[in-house]
Amino acid sequence: MILLEANSYIIEESLLQRFTSEKHEAVDIKLVDFDGVTYHLSTPTSRTELHFSMAAPCFNELVSYGAQDIIQREYGTYLASATEQGYHCTFVFDLEKLPADITALAKKFGMLKRNVFAAPFEKAFKEWETELEEPGTLMTIHYREEEAIYLRANQDRVTVIFSTLFKEEMDRIFGKVFLQEFVDARRLPSIQNAPQVLYSNREPPLEIRHLPNLKDDESVGYVTFVLFPRHFEHPDVREKTISDIQLFRDYLHYHIKCSKAYMHSRMRARVQDFLKVLNRAKPDRSSTAEKKLASGRSFRPSPISLRPST
Amino acid sequence: MSNTLRPYLLAVRSTLTAALCLENFASQVVEKHNIPEVEAQTTKEVLLNPVVISRNENEQVLIEASVNSVRVSIRIKQADDIERILCHKFTRFLTQRAESFVILRRKPIKGYDISFLITNFHSEMMFKHKLVDFIIQFMEEVDKEISEMKLSLNARARIVAESYLSQFA
Repeated sequence: MILLEANSYIIEESLLQRFTSEKHEAVDIKLVDFDGVTYHLSTPTSRTELHFSMAAPCFNELVSYGAQDIIQREYGTYLASATEQGYHCTFVFDLEKLPADITALAKKFGMLKRNVFAAPFEKAFKEWETELEEPGTLMTIHYREEEAIYLRANQDRVTVIFSTLFKEEMDRIFGKVFLQEFVDARRLPSIQNAPQVLYSNREPPLEIRHLPNLKDDESVGYVTFVLFPRHFEHPDVREKTISDIQLFRDYLHYHIKCSKAYMHSRMRARVQDFLKVLNRAKPDRSSTAEKKLASGRSFRPSPISLRPST
Repeated sequence: MSNTLRPYLLAVRSTLTAALCLENFASQVVEKHNIPEVEAQTTKEVLLNPVVISRNENEQVLIEASVNSVRVSIRIKQADDIERILCHKFTRFLTQRAESFVILRRKPIKGYDISFLITNFHSEMMFKHKLVDFIIQFMEEVDKEISEMKLSLNARARIVAESYLSQFA
């Protein structure tokens, strides 16, 4: 499994389970997703009324870029009138009046996070469609505590900048290797059409250099994706590009963790080998352990044999 | 094996074999104590001259001998950031398992990456030539392991980047 999927499997699974169960049971489940997104699945009023809420740390920013419209467009029929306390949007399902295709419904809600986070991307692509004379507005999404996505539409392209932060020294170095490969990979003839990737460590790119509160530290890096019209002209391609680019950070970190785990198992095996070599230095004592008595019984000197026999 | 590695390992092997001439020696400073003299450094007359064998400035071995113990410290080659972190992780991994590696020292000597401490009890319990073999094999394989890990990291990074970007193509 090299690539990650945009939909959340656990949401689909838990929703489908509630949808298909014969007996409606009371539920109260909390689920999590990438980038600090949390969900709450519950039946607060009656067993046939399933509430599903979502909270995202940067929801207000997303709303300012039009997330509410997307929610209305995609999930409008299920939107609850009152939002649950502590969450940003709530949906209600009446378990007795579900549509015929419940699999598609579950799948659709599995994409909830992806669709909400797609708001600034859609906005940027729409801005580009208006044939801008000068660069569009710079959009910022602080999707994690110290990391952000910056988006800006230009005349002939849309730039997406990720600020990345590596907490650990090992992650930082591994991350550097991975990101350098992202920059170099485009030289391959088969992926010439991929967006251009730029990577800079510590130094923010020109587009966002004027912003205040940028962290100036060795642990910070900036990855810029330059999306060309061929990545978002066609509606289908556009949807796919949005899904893929959103997962960039998760994908990168997932693979950094994977390589760390691989190194770990490798070191474990190597240590076993070294131990074997070292133990070879110990003389074999097993031949001396088996001493037989004249009667043929084996003799084991132990404190138990000193006790009087019963 | 490259041209410089063979004489380097050979020199380490003969120096170690010579240094591993250990006997039981009770402390002259504290009564009823029997401690590795290289570590204590309290009795000058039982310490031998330390020997440094270096292949280049990044790879060297320090062998400190005394009457009842030998301390071997190895500096492992670290050409860049990746090798540095891999080496650090690997030696940490080993030293955390020092209990099973009887001769491994929990902390390396300053300026070196990993240290071994062989006392007369170890050399009585184990074959001397096999102990030397272990150290030599360790030196050979540590370099190999680190460069292999580095290669695999680079290979994975390439595949990861290519498969991500080929989604857009």
